Amino acid sequence: MRNGPLFRLGIVIVLGLTLAGCGGTTVAQNTELILLEWSGYELPEFWEPFEAQHPEIEPKYSFFAEDTEAFSKAQSGFEFDLIHPCSSYWKLYVDAGLVQPIDTSRLSNWSGVYESLASQGNFDGQQFFIPWEWGYESILVRTDLVEEVPTSWADLWDPQYAGHVAVFDSGESNFVMAASVLGIDPYAATPEQVEQVKQKLLELKPNLLTYWTDYTEINQLVAQGDVWLAGQAWNDAYAALYDEGYEVEYLNPEEGRLGWLCGFGISANSANVDLAYDYINAALDAQSMANMGNAYYYGVANADAVPLLDPYFVELMEMGDPSILNDTVFYQSLTDEQRELFATIWSEVKAGQ
Amino acid sequence: MFLLSPPALTLLVFFFVPLVIMASYTVREGTFGVASRTFSLDSFRTLTENPGFLRLLKDSMVLSLQTSFFAILLAYPVAYFLVFHAGKRRMSLLTLLIVPAWTSYLLRILAWKLILGSNGVLNYTLLNLGWIDEGVPIFLYSRTAVLITLVYVWVPFAALPIFSSLERIQRHLLEAASDLGAKPWESFLRVTLPLSFPGILAAFFFVSIPTVGEWVTPTLVGGVDGIMYGNLIQDQFSRALNWPMGALLSMVLLVIVLVAVMVFNRFVNITEVGAYG
Repeated sequence: MRNGPLFRLGIVIVLGLTLAGCGGTTVAQNTELILLEWSGYELPEFWEPFEAQHPEIEPKYSFFAEDTEAFSKAQSGFEFDLIHPCSSYWKLYVDAGLVQPIDTSRLSNWSGVYESLASQGNFDGQQFFIPWEWGYESILVRTDLVEEVPTSWADLWDPQYAGHVAVFDSGESNFVMAASVLGIDPYAATPEQVEQVKQKLLELKPNLLTYWTDYTEINQLVAQGDVWLAGQAWNDAYAALYDEGYEVEYLNPEEGRLGWLCGFGISANSANVDLAYDYINAALDAQSMANMGNAYYYGVANADAVPLLDPYFVELMEMGDPSILNDTVFYQSLTDEQRELFATIWSEVKAGQ
Repeated sequence: MFLLSPPALTLLVFFFVPLVIMASYTVREGTFGVASRTFSLDSFRTLTENPGFLRLLKDSMVLSLQTSFFAILLAYPVAYFLVFHAGKRRMSLLTLLIVPAWTSYLLRILAWKLILGSNGVLNYTLLNLGWIDEGVPIFLYSRTAVLITLVYVWVPFAALPIFSSLERIQRHLLEAASDLGAKPWESFLRVTLPLSFPGILAAFFFVSIPTVGEWVTPTLVGGVDGIMYGNLIQDQFSRALNWPMGALLSMVLLVIVLVAVMVFNRFVNITEVGAYG
C-alpha cells in the first residue's frame, strides 16, 4: 500500500485544499483585522468594546498622513479591511469600487449618529461610510499681535496682516475658502469662476509668510509670533495654544467655519467583514468616542457621546449645540475631476507670480 | 560577459525599467483605473500653459548653481588647510567636518529654523544691536534661507573630493615651483588650483545635481517665495495624485541634467572626476 494510488490521491487532495486555502481572499475568515488609519487613532480606548469582544484579535494598523496617501495605497492593491478617509474622498472610493455598502442595522450604536453627518456617507441610498469624527477649519488669531481682530475669511487678504498669514497647504481647502469669499459655489464653478478663484488666491500670496503643512508647524509658527493669522487651523491647534496661555482667538468667520468629517469604510475585498462591523460599532460607542473627543478636541459623530465630553472642551468648541453642524461649511465629497481641478489650480497658484 | 551581467541586470531591472514606466506615465490621462490606460497629452498642455512651472525650474537651477558655488568657496579653504597645514590630525579633523552629516537631515534644517527665526539667534542679535526694529523673521521663509541652509548642508560633501584631489598633488611640484622663483600665491594659482580642478568639478556635480530637485529644505524654510521645482514634483505625486504631470516634470528635469552633464563631459573626462569622489 505504500505509495499506492490512494496515497497519491490523498496527497493531491491535501495539496489542493492547501492551495485553495491560500487563494482564499474571498472566503470569510474573520481571523484578523487590518486598518488603514491615521496615526493617533490606534489607541485602544478609542475602540474599547472591541477588545472585550475579541480579546484574541489584535488589529493591525497601516498608517497614513494624508488622504491622498491612503487613496493611492488602496488603489494600488494594498489589502485592508477598514479604512478611515475623510469625506472629500468618500465618493472617490465608492466610484472606484474600493468599499462595500454597510448595513447600519448591524451597528447597535448607529442610532446616536447625527443625521446630517450620516447623510454625507450615503451614496445612492446606500451607506458606504460611517462618520466618526469631525472638526473645524477656521482662522486662529494671535489677538495680542494684531491691531484689529479679523471677522471674515476675506480679512486674510487685508494688507495690515502682510507677511503674517499662513494657510494650509491644500488645494481643496484654499479653493473652497477663496470661492466662499467670492460668493462662488466651489463645487459648481464655471471656468470663468475657476479663473476668478485662482486670481484671488494669487492675490493672497503677498500676504502669506508660508504654507503650513502639519499641526506641529502651525502651532510653532503661531506660538513664536511669526504668524498672526493661521488660516484653516484645526480645533486641536487652538486648544493647545489656548491651554499654553497664548492670547488666541478661534474665529467664527462671516462665511462660516469650514468643517471636515472622517469615518470608516469596509473594503470591498475584506475577508473579515464581521470583525470590521464589530470594530466600527466599538468605535461608535459613546464612551470610545468621548475618549477620542477629549483627547484631540475633535467633534464626535455620535450625539450620545456629548454628555461624556469634558464640559470645558464642549464650551470651548461649542459642541453642546447640534445647530453648530448646520452653521459649519462641510467639505463635500469630490468627483475625480474636482479633485484634479483643485490640485492643479493650487499648483498653478504656488508656481505663479 | 558573465561577470558583467549581474550589475547590468540590476541596472536594467531597478533603473532602466522604472524609468521607462515613469516616462510612459507622461502620456497617460490619469493616475488610476481607466484613465491610467488612456492616452493623453494633457500633462504636456498643462506644462505649456503654465510658464510658472518652467520659471520654477530655472529658479531651481540658479539656486543649485549658487549652492554649489558657495559650498565650494567655503569648502576649498577647509580642504586646503586640512591637506597642507593639519599634519597628522588631518584625518580626525576631516571626520569632525563630516560628523554633522551623520545626524538627521531634518534635524539640521530645523536647527536653521531656530537660528533664522524671529526669536532666533540672528534676529535677536540684530534686534539688540538696534539694527532692526521688529522681531520679523527677515531671514526665514525666503529663497535666501533656502540657499543658506543648502550651502551649510553641502559644504562637507564639497570638501571631500577637493580634499582628495589636493592630497594627490605631489609636494615636490610645489617645491619645484618655489625653487624656480614662484611666490606662494603664484604656485597656488599655477600649480595647486589647476591640479585640484577635477576635485572642484566633482564637488560641483556632487552638490548641484541633488540640489536642483531639492524639496525638503524649501518646504521647511522657503515659505511662499522659496518654493522650488522639486516641491512642484512632490506635490503632483503626493497631494495632487497627478502622476502623469509629476512624471513629465521629473523627465524634463532629468533630460536637462543629463544634457548638462554631457556638455560638461565634453570638456572634462567625467570618469576621471569620479575617481576623486
